Amino acid sequence: MPTYTEHDFFEDVAEEGYKYGFVTDVAYEKAPKGLSEDTVRYISAQKSEPDWLLENRLKAYHQFMKMLEEGGLPSWAHLRMPEIDFQDAYYFAAPGKKAKYDSIDDVPQEILDDFARLGIPLGEQAALAGVAVDAVMDSVSIATTFKEELEKHGVIFCSFSDAVENHPDLVQKYMGSVVPYTDNLFAALNSAVFSDGSFCYIPPGVRCPMELSTYFRINEANTGQFERTLLICDEGGYVSYMEGCTAPMRDENQLHAAIVEIIAHKDAEVKYSTVQNWYPGNAEGVGGIFNFVTKRGLCEGARSKITWTQLETGSAITWKYPSCILKGDYSVGEFYSVAFTKDYQQADTGTKMIHLGKNTRSTIISKGISAGHSDNSYRGLVRVNKKATGARNFSQCDSLLIGDQCGAHTFPYIEIHNSTAKVEHEATTSKIGEDQMFYCRQRGISEQDALNLIVNGYAKEILAQLPMEFAVEAQKLLSVQLEGSVG
Amino acid sequence: MLTLKPTSDFYSRALLEYDRVFSGDGAPRPFADLRRRGRDAFEALGIPTKRDEEWKHTDIRKAFPSDVSFFDPVALRITLDDVASHSIPGLDGRTIVVVNGVFEPSLSELDGLGEIVITSLRASADAHPELMQAHFGRYAEVGENSFVALNSAFDLDGVFLYVPDGVIVEQPIRILHVIDADKEVIVQSRHLFVFGQNSQARVIETHHARTGSVNSFGNHVTEIVVGRDAVIDHYRVEDEGDNAAQVNTTQVYQQDRSVFSTTTFTFASGLVRNNVNVVVDGEHCESSLNGLYIARGDQHVDNRTLVDHAKPGCNSNELYKGIIYDRATGVFNGKVLVRRAAQQTNAYQQSQGVVLSDDADHYSKPELEIFADDVKCSHGSTTGEIDLDALFYCRTRGISFEDARALLLYAFAHDVVKRVKLEPLRDWLNARIDERLD
Repeated sequence: MPTYTEHDFFEDVAEEGYKYGFVTDVAYEKAPKGLSEDTVRYISAQKSEPDWLLENRLKAYHQFMKMLEEGGLPSWAHLRMPEIDFQDAYYFAAPGKKAKYDSIDDVPQEILDDFARLGIPLGEQAALAGVAVDAVMDSVSIATTFKEELEKHGVIFCSFSDAVENHPDLVQKYMGSVVPYTDNLFAALNSAVFSDGSFCYIPPGVRCPMELSTYFRINEANTGQFERTLLICDEGGYVSYMEGCTAPMRDENQLHAAIVEIIAHKDAEVKYSTVQNWYPGNAEGVGGIFNFVTKRGLCEGARSKITWTQLETGSAITWKYPSCILKGDYSVGEFYSVAFTKDYQQADTGTKMIHLGKNTRSTIISKGISAGHSDNSYRGLVRVNKKATGARNFSQCDSLLIGDQCGAHTFPYIEIHNSTAKVEHEATTSKIGEDQMFYCRQRGISEQDALNLIVNGYAKEILAQLPMEFAVEAQKLLSVQLEGSVG
Repeated sequence: MLTLKPTSDFYSRALLEYDRVFSGDGAPRPFADLRRRGRDAFEALGIPTKRDEEWKHTDIRKAFPSDVSFFDPVALRITLDDVASHSIPGLDGRTIVVVNGVFEPSLSELDGLGEIVITSLRASADAHPELMQAHFGRYAEVGENSFVALNSAFDLDGVFLYVPDGVIVEQPIRILHVIDADKEVIVQSRHLFVFGQNSQARVIETHHARTGSVNSFGNHVTEIVVGRDAVIDHYRVEDEGDNAAQVNTTQVYQQDRSVFSTTTFTFASGLVRNNVNVVVDGEHCESSLNGLYIARGDQHVDNRTLVDHAKPGCNSNELYKGIIYDRATGVFNGKVLVRRAAQQTNAYQQSQGVVLSDDADHYSKPELEIFADDVKCSHGSTTGEIDLDALFYCRTRGISFEDARALLLYAFAHDVVKRVKLEPLRDWLNARIDERLD
């Protein structure tokens, strides 16, 4: 009888590939295909939105059409991209023919099962996990857990639609204040057709008692997902926020164009972590998600702090730059990123640190790992404006190459307009050290385990920034992704 | 005046002006094919704007003269005394003079050349057709670079330098570029240096102008071929004065086991854009690209480098330093491209800027584009003020603030200067740096 060899193991893994690639079978309420003013009105009507929001949507729609006509997609990114037909997609899909769920009992069982398979606690398990979750499938927020518990502390954590209904003043005040709809093509698109998302408000002086988490899932074929996250941390508040995402395996490309806005007031601290695992397409590069997300945080008040931590392993194309605008004096921006690409995946990701206030500080640590035929680029901007005296930045971008068919690129932009700035940037590119590999192998560690060990060590600095639950998941995810990368 | 779309307006007037100046001078026009490609490409590309990624921080259009007039070749006013005033004390070797983009044999030292060929580009078309055929216009990309296209669109003159296989040129060759004009002028020049197998040479190019308060705009393209096992040192010093703008493209092609180094010094100038592109198309080559720029007043200095590693086993090393005073702007954009075949590449790049005023700007963009896995590539980039501790140390020893600052900046600049291998040149540069730092 043949034994189960390492080779068989790899084959199994390769076949298993993307284990979140199942489809949940539920009925859908969709907007008519294509993008027009009517689509925008339809979405707004479905959600019974107030007039001001519809007006905002229409303004954004016209901006999008204008930008599309004027130049379409910008060409500076290091990405090969097929032409995107914005008319050939559905812009709104609500599972279960209902655009909003009033309680968890209304949610179809299939969807609850789906999230259970993903390991996202929505029902009773939630209580055990101790993490408040807002789950979003396709365009609609499915359920938000721990609402009452959070309310006791004054924390508002709900779906974006709920926030529009119950806290219109906050939404109206902050929405679009960090990422205006004129910002870029996809921000305009999102502002026009966004469906739902998460809203979070931390009142002054409150330290959010638990980790908040949003889980995004694209289920329906041929739809784009356009959600918005708005996170406001008032004076002296603290919150740690996590975001995860998956999608079924499909042959066509699907568009994910989200907006995340963070506002940190005086002395507030926000930690935003992402584990992005959208479907990356198959090994030949067919299908997969286009992940074009605009994420930006504003350190509004003095001594505020925003930390972005991301682990990017999925998506056919990742194109995003989580940024910090350091407006308050002594504010701090941090960016920690591990981007892993394999097969025919492409990533052009990094950050922007805009120093406006005095004595602002920023740190950028980016680790890129490319394998297979993939291309992985770091692109980052550090700008110190004229009045930002005493600004300090340290950036480090390392790239690791596995195999000789992949590419690793670094494009840092450093713009200094003040004589007291201190800005340092370092980048290195190399392959996995043969001596490290040899050391592990001679101690009887298999090639695959050695690779895991080395890559996890390389990324440790970043993964350590993730909240505990995420860090474990992230390490496992990285190991799964690495399987089949040697040889 | 130039409009936002300057192509048709500027270009048609330039063509008319060119034909007025050069028609009927009986110059051979051997470059018809390149000229046609250059014209097509320039018409398609136009003059770049800040919306072009490569020109993001440099608005070249504002440096363009409002009046398009080319230098008139009859009016040569530079004398041997003028040439002598630019000499580098203690430096042996011959001086070649290029006035307003035209090679001037009457001012150049051309005796005792032996096997070496130094002539005008036009003359070489007749005298060395096979070399011209093999190399001229083969390296600088007409289709992608507006200024190479503009340069190629006209039959230009310049220096043709050929060092045959195995020839070692003991004395450095100095090429003195002078612009001499009373009214706004555009000067374009084109040079080709071919270094044969196993040859060795050192070339110093310096740029000066005698235009006073008159604006000038230079667009120079130099193609350098470094043959197998050749060892070539190249230096460029730009010191034309505040009213001179120039775009200077140096396109280098390296063959197996060759060693090439180039260092660019930018002192007084208005707007300068240097493109140094090195294509390493041979195994086990070494390339070194260095630069120092000291910008004051409203100066704008933009250095762009590309090292294109196409073959395995090569080393490249880059060091650029900038000191920015007043309202000046410094830009550094260095790219290292390692192609799939270029395994065992070691590429190192370092850029440093010192910003000395809140009105000064410094932009730095070091890029790595890597497609091979068995490589070691790194870059470092720092921008900041002078080390306050070091300044304090000097002050406690009774050195005035100005002197201490100059001292520290001198040390900062020295890292680049010490890479200059010719002592007289180093002394000459140090004296000039002293003046610039005061």
